[in-house]
Amino acid sequence: MRTVYWMLMIGTLACHGRDDAKPAAAKAAKLKLDHASQRDLARELDDADRLGTWSDVRHRWQGQDLEWTVTRHRALCGAETACHVAAFPVMRPAQRGWLPELRFAPGEYAKLDAACGAAEPCEVVIAGTLAKLEVSGEMPTSVQLSNVVIKGAKRT
Amino acid sequence: MKKLIYGSLAGGLIATAGALTASASSHREAPMIAEDQYVDNTDVYSFISPTDPSRLAIVADYVPLLLPTSGPNFYKFSDEAYYEIHIDNDGDAIPDITYRYVFDSQVKNGNTFLYNTGPVDAISSQSLNVTQTYDLWKIDEHTGHRTRLMQDAWVAPWNVGKRSFPNYESVALQAVRSAGTTQSFAGPRDEPFFVDLHVFDLLGVGGAHTTDGVNVMSIVLEVPISEIAAGGTRPTSATDKTSVVGIYASASRPQIRILRKNHASDDYGKMIQVSRLGWPLVNEVIIPLKDKDKYNRSEPRNDVANFGAYILDPEVPKLLNLVLNAGCKPTPVGGRTDIVGLLAPNGTAAADLLRINIAAGQTNAQSHFPNGRALADDVTDTLLTVACNNGSAIGDGVNANDKPFTTTFPYLASPASGNP
Repeated sequence: MRTVYWMLMIGTLACHGRDDAKPAAAKAAKLKLDHASQRDLARELDDADRLGTWSDVRHRWQGQDLEWTVTRHRALCGAETACHVAAFPVMRPAQRGWLPELRFAPGEYAKLDAACGAAEPCEVVIAGTLAKLEVSGEMPTSVQLSNVVIKGAKRT
Repeated sequence: MKKLIYGSLAGGLIATAGALTASASSHREAPMIAEDQYVDNTDVYSFISPTDPSRLAIVADYVPLLLPTSGPNFYKFSDEAYYEIHIDNDGDAIPDITYRYVFDSQVKNGNTFLYNTGPVDAISSQSLNVTQTYDLWKIDEHTGHRTRLMQDAWVAPWNVGKRSFPNYESVALQAVRSAGTTQSFAGPRDEPFFVDLHVFDLLGVGGAHTTDGVNVMSIVLEVPISEIAAGGTRPTSATDKTSVVGIYASASRPQIRILRKNHASDDYGKMIQVSRLGWPLVNEVIIPLKDKDKYNRSEPRNDVANFGAYILDPEVPKLLNLVLNAGCKPTPVGGRTDIVGLLAPNGTAAADLLRINIAAGQTNAQSHFPNGRALADDVTDTLLTVACNNGSAIGDGVNANDKPFTTTFPYLASPASGNP
């Protein structure tokens, strides 16, 4: 009886503390964020690390349409289906491990490839939807932008 | 004895407990695993057999820095964990084959504190009071099909001392088990990793042999290369993506432990990975403190997405310059894509996997880090040199293990004795 009680308690607590992923894009219209740069996201993740507000961050950010300036490294973005970019310049040393994964709108990877060519690294302005934001106290941060279009590129 | 429960009662609990969260080689490399020594994965090695080039040897070490005089409860593997060796054979950094070791301990006489009640001359000796056995499973990760390769195989006993084991190694080697084409060993061995651990005192290395004389718990597996190659055939081209396999070892524990008054504890729930390792030293010195536990929980396939920035811009060369004035090159504007390249040979997906070329013609002589890892490879020097990137070789001053390795299975040296 006591065991059953504790199991129910654990189950209740588990549901209360639930912090698992919700569907990618919120059905209702998202309130557009005033501050939506990658630095703003990083700041909120740092706060979540202290306060445990992972769920709030995910709900606010997931589904947002964003325009970010990122850095393409050829070694990390070698194919349309395998492209990660650096959200922050080399900071000596890196303060955050995550590299956003890009899922391109049709034709946009080719546009990126043409714009950057062999330049290494290549600074790119992208626009896309933050389709997946995996954040929690137990697993590493993972960021995926979908329907990405290239707005501009600067060879450095 | 603790219990691992998978019954129908636990099934309902698993469903709800799946949402529980825990806030919160590598030897003691991350905060949480440092509190759970028995499942701390310390090193992985892999090399083509020195005596049969058609076979691949894999060594996965756990439970770091063990004093030989650690009685009366000598070290062993955890009965409540999965110890696994994962193999990716098609370059996508996702395991295709997993070998799983599941251990079980036995006590013949609970009315004594002794590990052995007399001299032990055989692994089946009645004088050996505390024993451990294991089952070895092979799992096809595509179908989920599991095959039990070995059942109740002996774990080699602890090298208690000369009075208990007048001829320890002959007893320990009775734990070498063959089943079909698979050969396996599990038990204590001399710690093969050599390093000056004063490196963690503000990089104060000076050639001190700090891992001499300590032991580790080793799992050694040797299988035909064709059995782990994509499509079941050893590749003929050495440059193809499928000519390299990526290996990592892990340990997992049940998600929930309930401490009991009338017995030790009960364990419930799905298995949660608590430790993993492919390349040496990645979680130790690449991943910063705040993400080390998360690294242990995560999968190699997501390493670039989760930790790529740390690899692009590692902390080590800055520390070497700051503390030792080592003259390491600053991280280039483009980041350390050379290290990313080392983690992605032959066009494979970049990930923290120990990759080794298994194509026909590859031999033991070519099995040296980062193409696999031989037991004698000085990976600390190799990785410090790569990290510093100034064209000069640098190192910790420790260049070899204190004991020689063997050319016969299980290859590792006999563990240090508790009473030599």
